[in-house]
Amino acid sequence: MKRLAAVVIGLAALMGTFGKAIAAAPADTLAEVKKKGVLVAGVKDSLPPFGYVDEKSREIVGYDVDFVKAIAKKLGVKVELKPVTSASRMPQLTEGNIDIIAATMTKNPERAKQIGFSHTYFATGQKFITVKGKVKSLKDLAGKKIGTAKGSTSEQNVKTAIPTATVLAFDDYPQAFLALQQGKVAAVTTDEAILAGILAKAPNKAKFEIPNVQISTEPYGLGMRKEDAKFIAFVNKTILEMEKSGEAKRIFEKWFGKGTPFALKRTFKIVADK
Amino acid sequence: MLKYNFDWSIVTSGKYFEWLVSGLKVTLELSVVGIVCAFILGLLIAVLRMSHFRPVRWIATAYLEFFRNTPLLVQIFFWYFGSYKVLPTVVNDWLNSTNFEFAAAAIALTIYTSAFIAEDIRSGILSIPKEQMEAARSAGFSYLRSMQYIILPQAVRITVPPLVNQFLNLAKNSSLAMSIGVMELTYQARQVESYTFKGFEAFTAATVVYLVLSVIITALMDLYNKKVLNPHRA
Amino acid sequence: MEEALNFQVIIDNLTYFMIGRYPNGPLGGLGLTMYLAVVSCVLSFFGGLILGLLSLSRHAIIRHPVNLIINAVRGIPLLMVIFWMYFLLPAMMGKTVPEATTVIMGLTIFTSAYMSQIVRAGIQGIPKGQTEAAISTGLKPWQAMLYIILPQGLRNMIPSFVNQFVSLIKDTSLAFIVGVSELTHVGTQINNRTMAYPTEIFIFIAGVYFVLCFAFTSFSRWLEGRLTWRKSI
Repeated sequence: MKRLAAVVIGLAALMGTFGKAIAAAPADTLAEVKKKGVLVAGVKDSLPPFGYVDEKSREIVGYDVDFVKAIAKKLGVKVELKPVTSASRMPQLTEGNIDIIAATMTKNPERAKQIGFSHTYFATGQKFITVKGKVKSLKDLAGKKIGTAKGSTSEQNVKTAIPTATVLAFDDYPQAFLALQQGKVAAVTTDEAILAGILAKAPNKAKFEIPNVQISTEPYGLGMRKEDAKFIAFVNKTILEMEKSGEAKRIFEKWFGKGTPFALKRTFKIVADK
Repeated sequence: MLKYNFDWSIVTSGKYFEWLVSGLKVTLELSVVGIVCAFILGLLIAVLRMSHFRPVRWIATAYLEFFRNTPLLVQIFFWYFGSYKVLPTVVNDWLNSTNFEFAAAAIALTIYTSAFIAEDIRSGILSIPKEQMEAARSAGFSYLRSMQYIILPQAVRITVPPLVNQFLNLAKNSSLAMSIGVMELTYQARQVESYTFKGFEAFTAATVVYLVLSVIITALMDLYNKKVLNPHRA
Repeated sequence: MEEALNFQVIIDNLTYFMIGRYPNGPLGGLGLTMYLAVVSCVLSFFGGLILGLLSLSRHAIIRHPVNLIINAVRGIPLLMVIFWMYFLLPAMMGKTVPEATTVIMGLTIFTSAYMSQIVRAGIQGIPKGQTEAAISTGLKPWQAMLYIILPQGLRNMIPSFVNQFVSLIKDTSLAFIVGVSELTHVGTQINNRTMAYPTEIFIFIAGVYFVLCFAFTSFSRWLEGRLTWRKSI
């Protein structure tokens, strides 16, 4: 037990040393990015059509990616894409590994305490994918296993909406859907646009459906460091301009519109938050 | 610049403390199930590896080499996501009705560790002089009975220290089960981080728990070394 | 869901499995796995050597803290070590650290602790008389260690080092958890995209790791045999 005590003391000493300076992100990202000539963006890499690796080009593409590309273009810098997960994106940002998050991130007050958000650049609502005909209302999911992704708002919402359900959090949504295909969970829950993306790509999509059961509305924002007011203002200005010029709509149509497997209607516009 | 404020209260009481405790419980369950099964399976493979019937020996060797030389994480993914295509539908349905994340992790940990344990036991058996087996056989014991009564008890005794080491590895390796959604200690620490953004505190708590586990197991092994292996040394 | 296996998905994505987005993007897949393993191995060789020598120091004030650190690292899961690097590296360096570096540092610290035990055992395996003889010829203790004991010890340690390298190759798969696109991560990416071939993909990945690791395991055994043979003549 002497050794244990020593280990614990050693650990405490270590923490005292490093605890003082946890984060070392640049204070003025806008100037820093311009100086480096590179905007480092955290994006999803296996979540069509927001961010995924294109089989032929082996490059990450998608709705989120097009937004950061537009912002980088406006800045006159190159883009470097870094794959992030729902759980890793915020630490990556605050630690300064990435400059901006464009990874299907819902704006909520909890997160807004830690980071700064842009205006909403995509809006959707949280729903479920289930085997066809199994779920008519939330009651049908009581006591069942439901899959989602670690560190997502979806996980927290579903726990509130169906307290009796067992929520299994995977590294990302497609893994959760794989578990659904194999009958390991009764439903997968997250934002409708993501679910539609997964379903469109699914090899046996006829067996599944997205019932009209919504548990929340999910506005997506681009995430930046909280103290980075200049950069946040720049990004907001850029996406408002993109809305005005019609570029934002074009990007939506390219990934979600008619001619895509999703055929979603654009029910939102990018406007300044109140 | 971000300033980090420590808040240890979140991991020492309340909801998040309970999460960590429930995580520890799952880690312990997974470890105990894994250790018992891996020991039994490892013993079996070790005996098969020394069989006089060549095909049996080959199969045992192939098993051992394959599972030792493949990452545990990939094995966990295989059992959880990949096994449904190779298992019959009935088995799949039954597995899915159970707590399959836990089962898949336990299976992967068992098989992975059993391969290492089999090697340790085999070296233990090989260290017992051949003459003992010959003596046992000439005294009228069958091969299996000689193993059971004469060779294995001795071999197991000297194999205990490396075995304990494997058990310790298994307990630590059980942290990989988080990747398929088993809510063990590391998973819960990460959950606390993503809910509270207090990763530093959450991981410190988990680290201390793992250390305490290791220290306890190591202390027991030291005791065994003193009492059983070298009883005459002060 | 009994289905026939269809390995077409492997053939379609073979380049991605092997090198990721290289040369248009960063190296990934098997290439990155090897890179992580080799760099961490070289670093942990020196880390293990230093820690191993320090843990045998005659001065308790050096020996005890070093042993404490070694035992602490050996007492926690590698996954935890990697998470810690995630927190501590940026604080220590005062700037951001790429994930691949985080993983390399995690692997290095973890493996150094294990390598130090190999170094220790290797040195203790050399008869004490040799040190005494070396010192009596006028060498200082550290010179005796560096020129007489260590070279002999190191030769005996080679097979264990190779085994540790095999462990490292397997351990690089944990880089997946912090989002580094090595082989396992690439596998889950393709699995997430296709959503129909998990069995094929994980069998293939396991096979690739196996071929690599088994080759080195066999090499280590061959070395071991050669060393015993050289000693016996």
